[in-house]
Amino acid sequence: MKKWLLNIFSIMLIMSLVACSQGEDSTKTTDEKDVKKEVFNIGMIPDQNVADLNRSMEDFAAILSEKTDLNVKFVPAVDYAALVTAFERGEIQLAWFGGLTGVQARSLVPESEAIAQRPIDEKFQSVFIKQKGLPINSLADLKDVSFTFGSESSTSGHLMPRYFIMEDGLNPESDFKGKPNFSGSHDTTYKLVESGAYQAGALNISVWEKAVNEGLVDVNKVEVFYTTPPYFDYNWTVNKGLDEKYGEGTKDKVKEAILSMSKDDSEVMTLLQADNFIETKNENYQAIEQVAKQLGIIK
Amino acid sequence: MMHDIIDSFDRRKRFYINLLLILIFLWSLTAINWNEDLVHPGGGVMIIQILKSILQPNLSFEIIQIALESTWITVVYAVAGMTLAILYGSIAGVLASGILTNNRILKKVSVGIFRGILSFTRAIHELVWAWLFVASFGLSPYAAIFALAIPYGGILGRILADALNDVPKQPIQALKLAGASNWKCLFYGYLPFVWNHMLSYTLYRFECAIRSSTIMSFVGLGGLGYQIQLSLADLKFDEVWTFLFFLILLVVIVDLWSGLLRNSNNSKFSAHALLRYFSIDRLSIYIFTLLVCTSWYYVIFVQQASLLKLFSSENAQYALKFFTGLLGLNEVQPAFLNFDYWKTAIGLTWETLLMSVMAIGIATIVTLLTVIPAARNFANGTLTASSSFWQWLSFGIIRIAYIFSRAVPELIWAMLIVFLLQPGLLPGALALALHNFGILGKLCAEVIEEMDHKPVRNLSTAGANKAQMLLYGVLPMVMPKFLSYIFYRWEVIMRTTIVVGFIGAGGLGQEFKLSMSFFHYSEITLLLFCYLILVFIADFFSEWFRKAAK
Repeated sequence: MKKWLLNIFSIMLIMSLVACSQGEDSTKTTDEKDVKKEVFNIGMIPDQNVADLNRSMEDFAAILSEKTDLNVKFVPAVDYAALVTAFERGEIQLAWFGGLTGVQARSLVPESEAIAQRPIDEKFQSVFIKQKGLPINSLADLKDVSFTFGSESSTSGHLMPRYFIMEDGLNPESDFKGKPNFSGSHDTTYKLVESGAYQAGALNISVWEKAVNEGLVDVNKVEVFYTTPPYFDYNWTVNKGLDEKYGEGTKDKVKEAILSMSKDDSEVMTLLQADNFIETKNENYQAIEQVAKQLGIIK
Repeated sequence: MMHDIIDSFDRRKRFYINLLLILIFLWSLTAINWNEDLVHPGGGVMIIQILKSILQPNLSFEIIQIALESTWITVVYAVAGMTLAILYGSIAGVLASGILTNNRILKKVSVGIFRGILSFTRAIHELVWAWLFVASFGLSPYAAIFALAIPYGGILGRILADALNDVPKQPIQALKLAGASNWKCLFYGYLPFVWNHMLSYTLYRFECAIRSSTIMSFVGLGGLGYQIQLSLADLKFDEVWTFLFFLILLVVIVDLWSGLLRNSNNSKFSAHALLRYFSIDRLSIYIFTLLVCTSWYYVIFVQQASLLKLFSSENAQYALKFFTGLLGLNEVQPAFLNFDYWKTAIGLTWETLLMSVMAIGIATIVTLLTVIPAARNFANGTLTASSSFWQWLSFGIIRIAYIFSRAVPELIWAMLIVFLLQPGLLPGALALALHNFGILGKLCAEVIEEMDHKPVRNLSTAGANKAQMLLYGVLPMVMPKFLSYIFYRWEVIMRTTIVVGFIGAGGLGQEFKLSMSFFHYSEITLLLFCYLILVFIADFFSEWFRKAAK
């Protein structure tokens, strides 16, 4: 018994020592490698088709590597806030953000820049859905109705719907039946309304259209009653200091590579429902930033 | 007269306590509005859809590959976390027991400080630690490993400290008289006494660590939970089930392992010397060591996560920024100086408390209804002197239900339940109850299996029927132990309420998640403060009740 005990303790001790010393070694070797080819990390907010997107992003990263001659690696994220944090810490060099997460990221890293988006993102919309047959025809009718947003960090699933509800004179914190819910994803939102968990909800228009086309949602149970005016949404944002870290002209090279992506290049394009990407700039998102400030999400 | 009353109260103390507990549970149920339709009409279709995909899990090559990989990552984080937890727990535990010093004042200081550290570290749920580490360390595997190691080390340390303090004093005194130093006393006096207990407890925690490691990946650190969440968000239930089956398999393997180990500890002396050499204990230790080596190898070399990078000056800056954020130094009015926010937070704290009471109440009821047939000695007839096919059947079904219920993390139960029930406290409480009923059931069934059979046998030969045997034979004997397990799970549930809140079950968790997403750090401070108070209240009351029920 005693012998075992000593055995275990000594093994543990040796293990931990070995682990620590190996840790030092490995940093040295990775540092050396880093000099040769620093990894260029890209990330993506978990917004829709997350499972499929995460699985096919590796090949998107490979294409980007080829086009830019950088060592591009995809870092999966399951949480919006985690991606923004990673971006702030400089662990992600290029990220696919939603309108709000992009604004959050750029307010944390002021030198970062929105460079590209899909054509639809210039005039993105949200739809408000309800259980079929309920007497809800406008946003003002949402009083005393149970309501679900998507993820709290989503622009099309939370920020803009909340904004338009408030424009119509309702306070989402007190005028619904109970507090508003945050379903976490657009797909979950329509399923929650379909199952009857919530009487109404708001989500991204492209997710909704896809769900209807593919028969994922039962249109006998759920219907749209309001579509918002257009606003700017998703975008590719590059982090600060790319040119210093990866060589002069890296930012432009990355931007060019993204703008040259076409539909057949990667499955990612299909999953994002994008034929191509177009240019964008930070100023396009001022309206969203104002809304976020007005709603107290950004202080 | 007064004396009589106190006397009769003393005799019926246990009865009053049980009555009080039942009343508290019933009162917690009044928080739910029962008039409304709790179950909504469309939910049934959804549940059928979910259940249908149990029969058709996605077994495509790609998914299986992902599942295997994620299972491995889950195990790696669990093992790596456990190694650090064992290191931290054994050092802090020994110091917290105060056995290393003879100086009274030094002893008090050491016990006070280390007990405090241990109880603080275990008070916060591992998912919350993970959130905090991701915010201050970034998405490094160490965020997951530390997040597991800290609360688990806290629990292991406390159990070790308690066990060391419970060691009988005579052998230690004998050692001391023979001139042994404090260190020698620790190794030759204390440790052999607590070894078996700690080994089996550590393995039990290992099983928990695997489940926690799954949850941990919800902050985006990879592993089974990450995959489950992704597939769930996209409503791909066939994939969800595939991943869940892998998780269940993993939990069952660890469960069987710890079962074997317990049994071998009981029957060690009967085994042949040669057999003992290759005994399950030894094998377990080798396997565990091997797991530790490969896990750390994987973390350090394959994932190339370097520990030193965590302590870079850059990281220190981010951490500093994070903490100044928590302290609200850069805000005009931090949330904890805002009266309205306090009101909200206290309301949520109250809700959280109700949810935890409801959850443990439901779990207890279901456990009590199922635990007797779930005991092996009931099924094979040693308890009642009669065994039948039906007893074995119900034993099997209930045991499978236990495994299933506890293998699925609370968070996933909650995600499924929101489709069926009206949002509010009830779905959260049910999710917690569903997960804990499996654990409670298993623990309580083991209590029955280990109890003394003779009184029940006597009742049986005296002609008592099954209900009578249960009421007069089994229950009085096992109830105190049950109660202590129930309270222990209540403490755990209290810590976990914050987790189910993440998916909209109300309480502090939801607000915590929102504040995290919006980077409102000073609100997080206030919410964490309320949460800690709740946890300490739970610990205090459970300790008090446990003592009172003895």
